[in-house]
Amino acid sequence: MRRWRARPVRNPAAEGEQFRRRALLSGLGVGAALLALAIGYGRLQIQQHEEYATRSEENRIRLDPIVPARGLVYDRNGVLLADNAPAYRLDIVPERVDDMPQLLAALRERVALSEDEIRRFENARKGSRRFKPIALKLRLSEEEIARLAVDRHRFPGVEVVPYLTRRYPFGDLAAHIVGYVGRIDQDDIDAMASRGESRFAALPHIGKTGLERYYEARLRGDVGYQEVETNVENRPLRVLRRHDAQPGADLHLSIDITLQQAMVEAFQGQHGAAIAIDPASGEILAMVSLPSYDPNLFVGGISFRDYKALNEDPARPLFNRNVLGGFPPGSTLKPFMALAGLKEGLITPESTVFSSGEFRLPGAARGYRDWRPGGHGTINLRESLAQSVNTYYFDLAMKLGIDRISADFDRMGFGRPTGIDLTGEAAGVLPSRAWKQRRFKQGWFPGETVIAGIGQGYWVTTPLQLAQGTAMLAGDGLLRRPHLVRATQAGFGAPRVPEPQPAALRVVDDPQHLAAVNDGLVATMHGPTGSGARAAAGAWYRMAGKTGTAQRVSRQGAERLDPNRLPYHLRHQALFVGYAPADKPTIALALVVEHGGSGSLAAAPVARRIFDAWIGPPPAPSVEPVAAEPRP
Amino acid sequence: MNVLIRALGAFAWRWLDKLDLPLLLGLVAIMGISLVVQASAGGDAASVLKQAARFAVGLAALVVLSRFAPSTLRQWTPLAYVASLALLGLVFLIGTGRSANLWIDLKIFYLQPGELLKLSVPMMVAWFLHQAFLPPSWRTLAISAAIIGLPVGLTVLQPDFGTGLLVGASGVFAVFLAGIAWWRIGVFAGLGLAALPIGWQFLMPYQKARVFTFLDPESDPLGEGWNIIQSKIAIGSGGATGKGWGQGTQAHLDFLPEHTTDFVFSVYSEEFGWLGVLVLLGLYFFVVARSLWLASQARDTYGRLLAGALALTFSVYVIVNAGMVAGFLPVVGVPMPLLSYGGTSAVSLLAGFGIVMAAGAHRRTWGG
Repeated sequence: MRRWRARPVRNPAAEGEQFRRRALLSGLGVGAALLALAIGYGRLQIQQHEEYATRSEENRIRLDPIVPARGLVYDRNGVLLADNAPAYRLDIVPERVDDMPQLLAALRERVALSEDEIRRFENARKGSRRFKPIALKLRLSEEEIARLAVDRHRFPGVEVVPYLTRRYPFGDLAAHIVGYVGRIDQDDIDAMASRGESRFAALPHIGKTGLERYYEARLRGDVGYQEVETNVENRPLRVLRRHDAQPGADLHLSIDITLQQAMVEAFQGQHGAAIAIDPASGEILAMVSLPSYDPNLFVGGISFRDYKALNEDPARPLFNRNVLGGFPPGSTLKPFMALAGLKEGLITPESTVFSSGEFRLPGAARGYRDWRPGGHGTINLRESLAQSVNTYYFDLAMKLGIDRISADFDRMGFGRPTGIDLTGEAAGVLPSRAWKQRRFKQGWFPGETVIAGIGQGYWVTTPLQLAQGTAMLAGDGLLRRPHLVRATQAGFGAPRVPEPQPAALRVVDDPQHLAAVNDGLVATMHGPTGSGARAAAGAWYRMAGKTGTAQRVSRQGAERLDPNRLPYHLRHQALFVGYAPADKPTIALALVVEHGGSGSLAAAPVARRIFDAWIGPPPAPSVEPVAAEPRP
Repeated sequence: MNVLIRALGAFAWRWLDKLDLPLLLGLVAIMGISLVVQASAGGDAASVLKQAARFAVGLAALVVLSRFAPSTLRQWTPLAYVASLALLGLVFLIGTGRSANLWIDLKIFYLQPGELLKLSVPMMVAWFLHQAFLPPSWRTLAISAAIIGLPVGLTVLQPDFGTGLLVGASGVFAVFLAGIAWWRIGVFAGLGLAALPIGWQFLMPYQKARVFTFLDPESDPLGEGWNIIQSKIAIGSGGATGKGWGQGTQAHLDFLPEHTTDFVFSVYSEEFGWLGVLVLLGLYFFVVARSLWLASQARDTYGRLLAGALALTFSVYVIVNAGMVAGFLPVVGVPMPLLSYGGTSAVSLLAGFGIVMAAGAHRRTWGG
């Protein structure tokens, strides 16, 4: 046996005997210790029971959270977009209720209770700590409060509690900007616990979307505590010690709610999205996504039916098209292509290209068409923009090559989130060899470069990216982060603290390049051949712009499709980018009209109405229009 | 059909035949009480289910470990010891935790190397003593002290005083059961007493505060003392028969801190009274006694020492926790075994009982 060879002189029998003695001794020791504990517990629980029972009864100090008021949201002129309103809710402590079904039935005679509210209450009961009040109904009406007050003594465990609820006075007008708060659910509580922020579960609301979500940590403030002495029924008698709550910070937005309203009206009921940016700062002046929804529905917990209706609506009212939606930018990309061509020295304002109606790659059988049969003839930069000449940009794209296109457009902010202060922003797609290899495991074909030149093919941009780029064109060639919050304020009377913004990136080095593109964009709106001329006719100020159409179905062969004969859901998206006044812009705009047909017919008129609303009527007949100062 | 049932039965038996039924019943009874108390103290079905799931994992570990013959386990012991020490070192580099870095984030769950040490340290001491001459000489004791001291020192540095205490105890018990002479115990005890004032210098301020609070809880009624006072009120107000399940006001009105974890025994005492305390302490005693008996049935020194040390370590949990919540001992972060809410300790404790059962099942085949 191996173990005997390894340890020749050991005596296993003696070792076993030794162990048994020690084990017995240990067992007795453990028994003695446990006995001592049992006696000690007996002294506490039997001998001193009276004393401790009394102290337990007298244990009346309770720690109650103090809920801070949520920060308010103002537009750029101090108009309230989100505020807090006093309200009353109905709380129940289930452990104090003997017969819950009977209580609910009795409450139903005094308070309107929906099936949703009962179901939510029952769910909250399952996940909740014992002896914790659970809200049965938020926002009681005056009448309901009065009816409950009459015979509250008949309902132990039921309390009417004052609290601050959230209110959005403009309803659906700013829903995609401000977003909404909702009731805190179990997922929120778990997330708070994992961050060591469980105290915030005492708040009535949490930001779910929009600015309410992005700035949640600053809007909510910090929860305070008070030590409360209570009576035997756990009702507070007096406050012993108080650690005040920290109110949430107010947000001052760059949004002008009047322009926002005008923007919605400019769409005249059509669906789509628009963003207006102040080119000098990157501040967003207005941003709409249509159709919209009423955020007030969500505050007290939206009913299942309402939510289902919003969520399943094919027009997608909950979807913020500006930030989340993407589409090929079409011809609205051409000004940026021109800028890239000027920067690389491949075109000048004077250089020309001949448009025959069809562009062919050497040796290819299939050609790429201009929209005008027979072509536009000899075209310079200005006319290439004014008439939206595809051949000019097919040619330019081939000269640039896909690698330079990718690099230059990356500098201009395409293919990545702009960094707006909203969550979940889409990056879009900037076509490149690397992207295609990643996405399709395929090399790049020259034909794909050709159509990339007119914003077709793999391109996906968000309205926000186009607006950011347009603001860069309208301004000084600097790319700025578009943002909604200008300043925060720690409360009424406190100083406004400007929200820090990242430094602007220089995209265009030579002002001559911007001037050349600007010339083409003004010709688009005011020139005799311009695609936007009809929309701009009669304006007292000058504007710059570019129309575009994002295709839903591709053109097959020589056959031409009449956009108005297509089924509604396959119609093109009409696009517009532009700014005004052309010589000293105060507003840069990007917009999309869904199913709108062509950009010049559907999108440019909407843009004109928005520009008119922002710039206003001419100040006085004697003053030169060019010298006119725009409204602030 | 009958054939199928018989086949299933045979299959189950192949897996379960090494289990010790009385010990298993004792453990299951304690776990059952735990779920009942958690339902009252935690008050939420999800956390009770989570606790039940942890018990299931622990029982699975128990069954698996009961399959290993102690001789097999012994071959792997040095590797297990080195690996758990390495993980403990890793905690210093990449560990996470609220007050101290005790955990390694494994993405699926958090690994707490301190829990592994509670098994691997007594294993290593038993492995070493298995091949040494017994009763141990000074040389043997010195090496054993090194085996125990290294992981305990590192654990206390983390700082996790409670785990250090339990890991150290598990190793010391193995040495004690190996038959260390009483006069040598006397020498160690004397050295320990002499070292106390020096050790005091190394305690963290919060640990010193706990000792002061223990000496006079009423001196700091809103700080450290609050826990002990409220816990004593909970226990004392329970009386002989308790306030009844779910009726303990101390925990539900949030007077009791940590009432699902370290202070769960107070909730139990409040709701089930002294009778409940006697029943639970009785169950714990039965579990320890039965484990010691199984250990004495083991075939070799390794199995005996390991199983015995694990059984006695379990009793330390009980004595320290029950003593701490009633104010008899200073507050040390030691949970009530199998009663407190929490995963890793339940799993490692049940795994330890798997080893105890294995030692008892692979018995001596020849006299002695």
